[in-house]
Amino acid sequence: MTRSPADLLRLRRTRHVIYLLVAAVVVLPYLFQLSMPFKPSSWAEKLYHRVDSLKSGSHVLLSFDYDPASSAELNPMAQALLRHCFAKGLVPIVMTHWVTGVSQVEKLLRDTAEEVQKQTGKPVESGKDYVFLGFKPGTSNLVLNMGENLKAAFDKDFYKQPTESMPALTGVQSLKNIDMAVDLAAGTPGVEMWIVYGSDRFHFPLGAGTTAVQAPQLYPFIKSNQLVGLLGGLRGAADYEQLLKKPADATRGMLAQSWTHTLLVILIIGANLRLLAGLFRRKRTRDA
Amino acid sequence: MSEPETRTDGKTPALEMGALALLVVVFLIVSLVRLQPFSPTADTASAIGIIVAAGLTFVMYSFLYRDNPLFKIAENLYVGVTLGYGAIMTWRLSLMPEVYDPFFNSPTWGAFWNSALHRTVPIILGVLLVTRLSRKYGWLSRYSYALMIGWGSGLAIPLTVHSYILQQLSSAIAPFHETVAHAAAVPIFSQAWFFELVLPALGAVVVMIGTVAVLFYFFFSVEHKRVGGAISRLGIFFLMVCFGASFGYTVMGRMSLLIGRVQFLLYEWLKIPK
Repeated sequence: MTRSPADLLRLRRTRHVIYLLVAAVVVLPYLFQLSMPFKPSSWAEKLYHRVDSLKSGSHVLLSFDYDPASSAELNPMAQALLRHCFAKGLVPIVMTHWVTGVSQVEKLLRDTAEEVQKQTGKPVESGKDYVFLGFKPGTSNLVLNMGENLKAAFDKDFYKQPTESMPALTGVQSLKNIDMAVDLAAGTPGVEMWIVYGSDRFHFPLGAGTTAVQAPQLYPFIKSNQLVGLLGGLRGAADYEQLLKKPADATRGMLAQSWTHTLLVILIIGANLRLLAGLFRRKRTRDA
Repeated sequence: MSEPETRTDGKTPALEMGALALLVVVFLIVSLVRLQPFSPTADTASAIGIIVAAGLTFVMYSFLYRDNPLFKIAENLYVGVTLGYGAIMTWRLSLMPEVYDPFFNSPTWGAFWNSALHRTVPIILGVLLVTRLSRKYGWLSRYSYALMIGWGSGLAIPLTVHSYILQQLSSAIAPFHETVAHAAAVPIFSQAWFFELVLPALGAVVVMIGTVAVLFYFFFSVEHKRVGGAISRLGIFFLMVCFGASFGYTVMGRMSLLIGRVQFLLYEWLKIPK
């Protein structure tokens, strides 16, 4: 079906109106500093309580497998998890399988450590209170190596400090010695690799956080208890922030997201009604 | 990605160029007023970085109005920067510490020979992969590929079967097992009986029916007629439910990315208090 120039113009204008409406419903809640209550999901609660139940000094491996393209969804999750770990006195062992994500993970870790240091007045030092292992190639082979000997797989941390004598890694020789792992991932390598080559093989509890697009793929692993909890997209991050009682960027984004969803539902219903009305009108004209 | 370039809005290019120039001037004035990159107390590098990022964000969203040269520049810049950054990080975090340093920056001869012993064969196999680019010597890469595929399959098959099939089968059967094991302990027709025993078992039955129906939909050795057709249609129903859930999450994900950019523009570029 060929469209007339007038039809094309109308189509373009309709599209521009939709874009402007979406922009308005995203920006307005921020300008008026509005907020809305919401209940955390049971999967976020499970992950939170699992981390919360760990004793001070426990080792939590955090694999942040994403790059700046997914930081809008996963950075708030990473920040909330790190805040929780530092508040509980846990020792986060942070790494990434994504070479393009190293700098942002390092900055996030450094900023969060500085923030906690400012709030508590106690020093939060690399190598003592947390470890940043950085990136190494190998993906699944690297996980298997870490399962055999973590300190051989990473003989130095990101800052070139030897891991063998690092106080933060006392008692951790391999993945079998960590108390829990959480993988925040935007694709492959990511959560499924950690399940297959990590938690199922070396038997440690694994939690996950993913972009919203990926979340449904991981549902079967929660039912089978291969994941102890799951954070899906910005909503997952907001859930964790709320459980932590430290609302931040994700919580602030929830109202914009709810309004956008409402607008989209209205637009979908409206467009379908218009289509049906058009079909009905055409049928009546044909019958007449 | 680009829509047809047919001009249908009747506006002149001069008008659009004027509007664009005005927007650029407004953007620069707002940036200079809010961030003050050249004031003595400002972190100039960081402020200029924020201005560039904000400008590129607007340029990327300008595609929503129409495909334009500024968008093309930003698009190519994005691809180029990502590739360049990836290449440098791969060199710094992978090739330099694993290949270059062990041979050329070894602290002792012992360390050098140790590296030579452990790294020479993997490095040769890695270099052989590059011969793929040559028609004459491309066959050499097959040794590396053979090892990778053999090794990879050997590792992956048992672990994947365990994680994806055995564990999933076990979790599919678990609700039935729970129902049978605890049936005697829970009074029949009580709330606990319904919510803890009957409902999980019903859920497992639905999952089982869905799995069989979807698998049958992709099973083409039998004609999808009568009973087969009904099962196949049920499979489509389950697939649609799955696609609907995925689509909902995808919309949420895309909106989250927009929210992330809006937060950046409001909090870092415009410095609106949180």
